Amino acid sequence: MPESIPAPLIIDTLRDTFREARGGSMREPLGWILSVPDTHQKTVLAALDKERALRVVTCATEDEANAIAAGLWIGGEPVVLMIQHAGLYASVNTLRGVAMDGRVPTFYMIGLLQRERDRDPKESRHSMVRFAEPLLDTFGVPHARLEGPDDVHLIPEYYRLSRQRRGPAAVLVGLETS
Amino acid sequence: MAMKPEDILRAIAAARGDAICVPTMTTSPAWRTLAPDDLSIGCVGFMGGASALGLGLALAIPKRRVIVFDGDGSLLMQLGSLATIAGARPRNLTHLLFKNGVYHTSGAQDIPGGLSVDFVQMAKGAGYRKAYAVKDFEDFKSRLPSMLTDEGPLFVELHTGLADKTPMTDRGGQPFHQQIENLCQKLSKAG
Ligand SMILES: Cc1ncc(C[n+]2csc(CCOP(=O)(O)OP(=O)(O)O)c2C)c(N)n1
Ligand SMILES: [Mg+2]
Repeated sequence: MPESIPAPLIIDTLRDTFREARGGSMREPLGWILSVPDTHQKTVLAALDKERALRVVTCATEDEANAIAAGLWIGGEPVVLMIQHAGLYASVNTLRGVAMDGRVPTFYMIGLLQRERDRDPKESRHSMVRFAEPLLDTFGVPHARLEGPDDVHLIPEYYRLSRQRRGPAAVLVGLETS
Repeated sequence: MAMKPEDILRAIAAARGDAICVPTMTTSPAWRTLAPDDLSIGCVGFMGGASALGLGLALAIPKRRVIVFDGDGSLLMQLGSLATIAGARPRNLTHLLFKNGVYHTSGAQDIPGGLSVDFVQMAKGAGYRKAYAVKDFEDFKSRLPSMLTDEGPLFVELHTGLADKTPMTDRGGQPFHQQIENLCQKLSKAG
């Protein structure tokens, strides 16, 4: 497994994903990042501070992030939610009530803090890591693991998938960004 | 005497122009009858989320006013939204709180703290541009025009009695996803 995923690579990928969502338009903000800070993705959040084209809204809870995402999407804006596994557990009712029942395309990047390199997340010693994929499976949310620089193509793919299926789709960030 | 929620909603329906309205809990059934076919989206299945959804709409469509009709119990459930909204500084967001002191929809149990909870102080403390309470209908009518135009985020605590209907006694209305679809279509037609 690689050591880390460079933050600039993720930010470039997000920029491309948003540009594609806007049909090539360079309008600013290109897109929105809704975040309840995730330790695994903290270098991305730090770098986003300096990005004028991507607007970050820090939310007090992941419930809010889900509902804000719906409002932005209804208004035609591209959005990514950056949260951590604990935030997924904390906001399951809103994931269900907004993204699923509302058929709102909602794309999540979920940090798997404490994911061990030597074992599958489903066998993790940490309940926080262990339950993320089974929970997403229970709700029928498609997901994939982002575990190295070569996996960043999953970001636009799962973003598009959330649009196609009109509902949630998630990428699990299995190692720290650098 | 506490204001009637239906009177407030009727006055808003007449004055709101092309504003998007986001009712939740007991304002939903009344709003459906008062403003049956327009730019609205009723939030019931994710308690506390109406103001956050309104924030997303307000950020996405800055040229249009967004008015949230929140419940006091709902706001308590996601109280951090006050800070999130204030931090995002949406100039076009009006957050109206229908303060009835109870969880009317689930059987009118007192909310924690009951009527003594001061949401105006909370909104001010969170950083809303303006926050005040309105206790009688004449005052409400005279301030309504500015509620629709004042720079936001604006918070108004409305002291109300209980609505005639709740989402439990008056089910119906379109499913949430259908309301979203309708709103998307109307917004894209409006350009
Ligand atoms: C997460 C969650 N917990 C509990 C409920 C049950 N519930 C439904 S409506 C409601 C009360 C809503 O009260 P308020 O926001 O004050 O609105 P009102 O009915 O007074 O207009 C409650 C507790 C729920 N819908 N969701
Ligand atoms: Mg109430």
